[in-house]
Amino acid sequence: MKQENSNYLINNMDRLMQRDRIFLNNPVFMQGLGLAPIVVAATTLHNALVLGLGVLLLLTPTRLVAAMVCRGRWPRFRGVAYALTAAVVYIGVWFAENALFGVGMQTVGLYLPLLVVEPIILKRYERTQPERLGTAVRKGLVTTFGFLLALLLVAALRELLGAGTLLGYAVASRPVLPMAQLVSGGFILVGVLAAAWRWMRNLIKRVVSMEANLK
Amino acid sequence: MTIVEPILTFFFYAIVAIAAQNAIFTRALGVSRLVKIVDDGSVELFKFGALLTAVQLISSLLSFFAGRALMGLALPYKSAFLPLVLVLCSAIAFFIVLLILVLPKKRALAKDYVTLLPMATFNCSILGTLLLTSTGGYTLLQSLGFSLGSAVGYVLAVVLVNEGQRKIQNRGLPATFRGLPITLIYIGILALAIYGFSGHTPAI
Repeated sequence: MKQENSNYLINNMDRLMQRDRIFLNNPVFMQGLGLAPIVVAATTLHNALVLGLGVLLLLTPTRLVAAMVCRGRWPRFRGVAYALTAAVVYIGVWFAENALFGVGMQTVGLYLPLLVVEPIILKRYERTQPERLGTAVRKGLVTTFGFLLALLLVAALRELLGAGTLLGYAVASRPVLPMAQLVSGGFILVGVLAAAWRWMRNLIKRVVSMEANLK
Repeated sequence: MTIVEPILTFFFYAIVAIAAQNAIFTRALGVSRLVKIVDDGSVELFKFGALLTAVQLISSLLSFFAGRALMGLALPYKSAFLPLVLVLCSAIAFFIVLLILVLPKKRALAKDYVTLLPMATFNCSILGTLLLTSTGGYTLLQSLGFSLGSAVGYVLAVVLVNEGQRKIQNRGLPATFRGLPITLIYIGILALAIYGFSGHTPAI
């Protein structure tokens, strides 16, 4: 590891563990957010693209508008404000999805409209402190990319293992693990990936602390 | 016969929603919330379950009529507006339950429930059930039966996973599997059992 990278990681590890929502604190594998669409609907890369576009267009605008609406007023009703904002933003998302995927968006069934109450979109309402608009945009985008990474990884694995294809093109003569297409297979696969993710995170943490001790 | 049939329909849909189409084990509805509740350990399951059931039943009743009204409108692209209509129904149910909790003026008791109310209302289990009953052409009795069963099934799943935690969080378990990973694998095994029992995957 390069000296400057190593120093940066050593000095900022605890902060990164909290703030890095792409790898070290991934919203899906570390925090367990957005599991319903990933476990059930993310069985192919096509479905992942439909869901991914939905989250990309929904998460940050919802967080931004809700942060503007909930500036310290009636903290008890923040949940209502966030859910209604997401449902209004979803109208635009639906038209974008319809323009891009047409009837193909129906392959994810109710998991596209369900995004409006997914904890990955609404979780911020649980904190009563008002959120700054810049922070809402930055955290919204980072959380979106962390979710997209997990979504595409799980969908690609499930399509490959469960159907032997990638984006509909055959890459194996037969499916290796047809169970990966089932809901139960989705739970187990995401559970195993979450364990692998934690193992890698702990490995990085260990390597960084070893380097710190050597200095 | 005229009285027995609706009652049987109601309970049949409730039992289907509890077992063969359980919100968690067949559709993973509200699983992120379940994982948080189980991990947190501070949420009182009885209170959460009571709130979830109340909100689910009230919003189901409202969404039945609101869904019918939306479908009756000469509006193109109704699917784009359906989540907004259903979230509005949930929000109205939220305020009705809040009013019921606040009116008796037992502050200490109401405070506990009011804290849990947003978590019970804005939940994938609630909206998922409303979407299923609205788009599936369910009658009022079928909607109410399915909604009651869905809420009871969700709470039973939370209790089942919560109890399972005591068995699966032991020292023999590798550290990387503790917490979220083993909980998901455990739910997956239970989902596989339900799949074996029902023999099919419900349409999403």
